[in-house]
Amino acid sequence: MENIFIILLGLSMIYIASTSRFLAHINMLIAQGWLLFFICMTGLPSENWFNIASFKLTTVNIEHIITLFVIIVETLFVKAILIPIFLKKVLNNTHAHRDSAANIPHFYALVISSTVLFAGFMIANIQFPAFELISPLYFGVSVSIIVISLWLITIKHTVLSNVISFITMENGIFLLSLAVAKEMPIIVNLGVLLDIFIAVFILGMLVKEINTEFKDLEVSHLSDLKDYE
Amino acid sequence: MISLILIFPIIACLILFLVKKRALQNSVIFLYSLIHLISTICLCANINPFDIEQNFFALDGLNKIFLLVLSIVFMAFSIYNIEYMKDDSSSIKKLKRYGYAVLLFVLSMTGAILSTNLGLTWVFIEATTLASAYLIYFHKTKHSIEAAWKYVFICSIGIALAFVGIILLTISTGNLNSLFYEDLYNNARFFNEFWLKLSFVFILFGIGTKMGLAPVHFWLPDAHAQSPSPVSAMLSATLLNSAFLMILNVYKIMIAANTDNYAKILLLAMGFLSLFIAAVFVYHINNYKRMLAYSSIENMGILVIGTALGPIGMFASIIHLIGHSLIKAAFFLTSGNILKIYGTKKINSISGILSTDKKTGWLWILSFIGITAFPPSILFISEFFIIKTMIKNGQYIMGIFFLLLLTIVLFGIGKAVISMSFGNKSEKIEQVKMSWLMYFPQIILLVIAFGIGIYFPFSETIEKAVIGF
Repeated sequence: MENIFIILLGLSMIYIASTSRFLAHINMLIAQGWLLFFICMTGLPSENWFNIASFKLTTVNIEHIITLFVIIVETLFVKAILIPIFLKKVLNNTHAHRDSAANIPHFYALVISSTVLFAGFMIANIQFPAFELISPLYFGVSVSIIVISLWLITIKHTVLSNVISFITMENGIFLLSLAVAKEMPIIVNLGVLLDIFIAVFILGMLVKEINTEFKDLEVSHLSDLKDYE
Repeated sequence: MISLILIFPIIACLILFLVKKRALQNSVIFLYSLIHLISTICLCANINPFDIEQNFFALDGLNKIFLLVLSIVFMAFSIYNIEYMKDDSSSIKKLKRYGYAVLLFVLSMTGAILSTNLGLTWVFIEATTLASAYLIYFHKTKHSIEAAWKYVFICSIGIALAFVGIILLTISTGNLNSLFYEDLYNNARFFNEFWLKLSFVFILFGIGTKMGLAPVHFWLPDAHAQSPSPVSAMLSATLLNSAFLMILNVYKIMIAANTDNYAKILLLAMGFLSLFIAAVFVYHINNYKRMLAYSSIENMGILVIGTALGPIGMFASIIHLIGHSLIKAAFFLTSGNILKIYGTKKINSISGILSTDKKTGWLWILSFIGITAFPPSILFISEFFIIKTMIKNGQYIMGIFFLLLLTIVLFGIGKAVISMSFGNKSEKIEQVKMSWLMYFPQIILLVIAFGIGIYFPFSETIEKAVIGF
């Protein structure tokens, strides 16, 4: 079941890579938040009591409830609600609609991101002894999401696109943490939340400042500092 | 005592929030630096009268040195800051934010140094970015926004990659469900080698970004050049060290797992690349704060090269770390004096510092002598040890290359410092009278750096610190 959600998460990256409208990007971030929630609900090896197929009310204890709460906060509340609302607010303040001047045309972006995702699926199917410690599909797709996001950061021209790509990279890393076939220490969850906090507040605030100071959000304005002045 | 260092800044932030007084921000920062220094000295001397039992923070042989360096540099910062911020016409709100940012910045660095858990160290390293972003952006000019943006964005990506490294390390640990260093060291020989090696690559590149190692150093020259001079001193002399300590702790896991040969190659590659980048860029540079930033990149390179050379190299690295932090902090603080006198950061617009302000001129020259490792600077001992280890190991080509790059950097910095210090005094420059507080911290830092270069009493402490490397 969770495989469908993982594949959809990978496909959402292709859509983000091949479109330039910020609103579409934000909608995809909401979709990714929900998909991550469903992946947690259906596929976590350490929390398989969530599984509808094996669900029994008698097995639910307080620890399960706490884990469920953490997952809901991380995926639904932060990734699907808080970040999109904040980004939409920034979008309204800056009157930015699209990143039309990417270095690569959309068609090529589509081809390249599809190839990276395909490579991710290939990684998931490699027979390698070390892969016994992880869930291969989680690993393959998360690696491709991280690679596509890093690549998007390099080709996009506005700071808002860079922030969105950074958040998709964080989603890829979140999926990678789910690839570990055991329970991750709670400190890791705290770290993920702090990371998102940085992405939203600091980057969001800086985007606002950049827009006020430079009148638009082009990254090219931010290349004035040079070694040989 | 550990609890005191970690709780006080939070209380201080609350006080700053509640009391609206312009001078309060400096007093609170100074008070924290004093508490920090006294607590650190007590902890180092094993005097720990009141502390709460907990597992997440502890002092060991290695982080003791890092904490002491942080305390001394922070004390110098807080003294200099009193006078530096005196003429600042910013609003109370802005000054308060500066105060919060400084307190939280030092708190997060202290947390990163004292943490006994890899995950927690990562959280604190991330928090340093959060706290220091405002400090870089303090002047609110176009250039400072650019520098802050690059800093936050590049470091966040680096730290996110380091997080990937931690996840991969967790995979390699198999059934062990702990990120405490002690557990990781004890069980390292059972870890899966493939995942462990992969995790080291990610952690080195990720945290290397924060440490300013090439090729992921791009934020460093911009951030150091645009932030207020005392903040640059803190960034260079303490923040980079905190990141280095995390790399050292992970490297120790690699040693315990017997995969250190692989790690050494990566460390040497990044170290020499950092030296090379510094040598190439420092030669033509026309901004003295950027020049000092490239010197930091060079010195971070030396630290990781020393680490990769084995126990003696590691011993030299720790000495180098102490020396670099003290001298670079003095250098950056003196650059604040120069900026105050001349109002420019351009090297070719400045000449005759010695005839304009003798004390600043001499501090500038002495900092240069210190940073380029002329005896009796403590850095002479560390670099001498590193070269000696290379020769002893039969790595002659590496040694020659190391010396050559150091000489180029020395020439680049020397050229700029000499042209700025000597020559005729510019008539347009008005005499600026500066308080003794703007000289005193640098004098103390340089006296310590040159003093321990003549008589070094901490050999035993450092020997204990490098056990396990």
